[in-house]
Amino acid sequence: MSTPHGGDPDTETTQESTATEESGAGDVQSRVGMRYTLSQVKRDTTALIGIYIVGFITLVALFAAIDYYIFDYAIAEAIMYNPERDPDEVNRLLPPVGMENQFGSGVLEHPLGTDHRGRDIFSRLVYGTRVAMTVGFMATAIGLVGGTLVGAVSGFYGGWIDDVLQRFTETIYAIPFLVLVIAFMTAFGRDLTFAMIGVGITAIPVFNRLIRSRVVSIREEDYIEAARAAGVKDRHIIFRHIIPNSFAPVLVQATLQVGVSILIVAGLSFLGFGAQPPTPSWGQMLSQSRGYMLPAPTFSIWPGLAILFTVIGFNILGDGLQDALDPRINN
Amino acid sequence: MGLARYTLWRVVQAVPVLIGIITITFFLANQIPGDPVQTMLGPNPGQEQVEAIQARYGLDRPIHERYLSYLSGVAAGNLGLSIYYDRPVLEMIMLRLPVTLLLMLSAFAFAIATAIPLGIISAKRRNKPADHVSRIVSLIGVSTPSFWIGLVLIIVFAFYLGWFPARGLVLPWADPADVRGAETQFQVIRTAAHHLFLPMIALGTLQMAQITRIERSAMVDSLQGEYVKLARAYGVPESTIVRKHAFQVAQLPVITIIGLGLSTALGGAVLTETVFEIQGMGRLIITAINNQDYELIMGTTFMFGVAYVVGVIITDIAYAYIDPRVTYGDET
Repeated sequence: MSTPHGGDPDTETTQESTATEESGAGDVQSRVGMRYTLSQVKRDTTALIGIYIVGFITLVALFAAIDYYIFDYAIAEAIMYNPERDPDEVNRLLPPVGMENQFGSGVLEHPLGTDHRGRDIFSRLVYGTRVAMTVGFMATAIGLVGGTLVGAVSGFYGGWIDDVLQRFTETIYAIPFLVLVIAFMTAFGRDLTFAMIGVGITAIPVFNRLIRSRVVSIREEDYIEAARAAGVKDRHIIFRHIIPNSFAPVLVQATLQVGVSILIVAGLSFLGFGAQPPTPSWGQMLSQSRGYMLPAPTFSIWPGLAILFTVIGFNILGDGLQDALDPRINN
Repeated sequence: MGLARYTLWRVVQAVPVLIGIITITFFLANQIPGDPVQTMLGPNPGQEQVEAIQARYGLDRPIHERYLSYLSGVAAGNLGLSIYYDRPVLEMIMLRLPVTLLLMLSAFAFAIATAIPLGIISAKRRNKPADHVSRIVSLIGVSTPSFWIGLVLIIVFAFYLGWFPARGLVLPWADPADVRGAETQFQVIRTAAHHLFLPMIALGTLQMAQITRIERSAMVDSLQGEYVKLARAYGVPESTIVRKHAFQVAQLPVITIIGLGLSTALGGAVLTETVFEIQGMGRLIITAINNQDYELIMGTTFMFGVAYVVGVIITDIAYAYIDPRVTYGDET
């Protein structure tokens, strides 16, 4: 995402820059860009912890994605186990290392134990990161782009366009989102792509509301009026001024939304929608573990902890960003 | 405008949203691949049989006709016939709805009863150990999937400690003759509470965490308000300030977050019902999907929408009732 005046200079009209400078908008904009965000975040311990967790999970997900798409699990086989490998009936439901259950004792090769088909839980957790993060980020991106467009157009033009778009997003929001995504995936397909689109659609109302309220309040600002009076096109005003000016709250919301999307997708996979076996995903692992809660309780524990750790990372980062970017708190 | 007229106005406003929900669910259900008639009749049905079934459920008519007749049917309180069970959809929903509502209401009751004291303590002892504990608990609460909490609760409290049952739900108003081990209504209520405890916590934890966070920040704001400073200057005791002055105003954002949480909680009910094998609306929609039962999918999705809309109207009215500044829309 670029800062409002950090884009290519060719498209900037002289009149427009004069108008913005006169109204003092430069001050506002210098406070909302990426550089400002980073400088604030560096001072906020909570946000930093969030960044470390999210950064760590992102690296794991990248590693898993590269190994899956490019090397077809060759790295996994070399350093741990292929998460999709054929069932190993001998080593089923082993406990974590150092523990014992009716199926045997934990071994170092399977530090977190094995699942109901004898696959290594640790490697399935590692490769499950790919699914969680891909869906989390893609769904948020779909919601962000869709919601920003709807909210910006709705708030900027008002009138009947606003009415129609707002009733539409209200309707989407009125169907509990897990139910909506389930219905959507039943109609179009149960795989991961439709999970991303479905969860993304449910995020549209969230970003729509945020952007629309910003647009309505910014629309009346002097520098927007000045830009309008100077003959700058509506589209240009929306994309070059209004949306970049909403950078801070959108960044906070998007960070939190990734966590929410990961939770929804875990729930979907738990119900059998989303990544299909044998692709490892955390929700699906939890669903599979249900049949073995009594003999092998730890099988149910690990995937939940993985979800918790990841979502906490995004929530801490979101909260930290909010604190770091909220001028009231800084003062 | 009085409260009654405001309520009526909110109900009228909900009509287009409800029509929108019907439209979305109708077209989604019609996109579902596969043939429900084939699901019913097996792989090689006779032509006559197929036509008879299609005529019975109106599947032989063009889509716009079916849409309009479905819409007018819903307006008349008729959600159609379940293709799989051959029973009225509304009847099936009415059997399951009380279960889900009981689960939802108890989850919110648990959430509110724990979150408000936690939020207040957190706000009053800001940046002290009690505040940190409460903040960590609520951070974990908003980050944990409800169905996993359910699984962990089952492992610990049902399997290891044996304190609560791991599955099923009993309605407290059920006939004692239908409840195993119960002879009096009181025993039915006790069994119901026993069954409800774990699912209630599993579903309510997220709401509890969200309400705690909002309650804390609202109370922090409220305790810094001018009226609170004035009350302090007059020597009003701190406990009275918290109870009488700061508390009421701080409840407004809490009501908003409860309204917003309804959607998550209704979705969470689907998961919680799956984990605890509770036969509520959530299980009904999953069964409907597995059976490709169009009418039942549409009916249950619509009822989920209705439940949400009704919940939002109730929270709006509660908001208007608590906030002295809200003028029910006709003044500015």
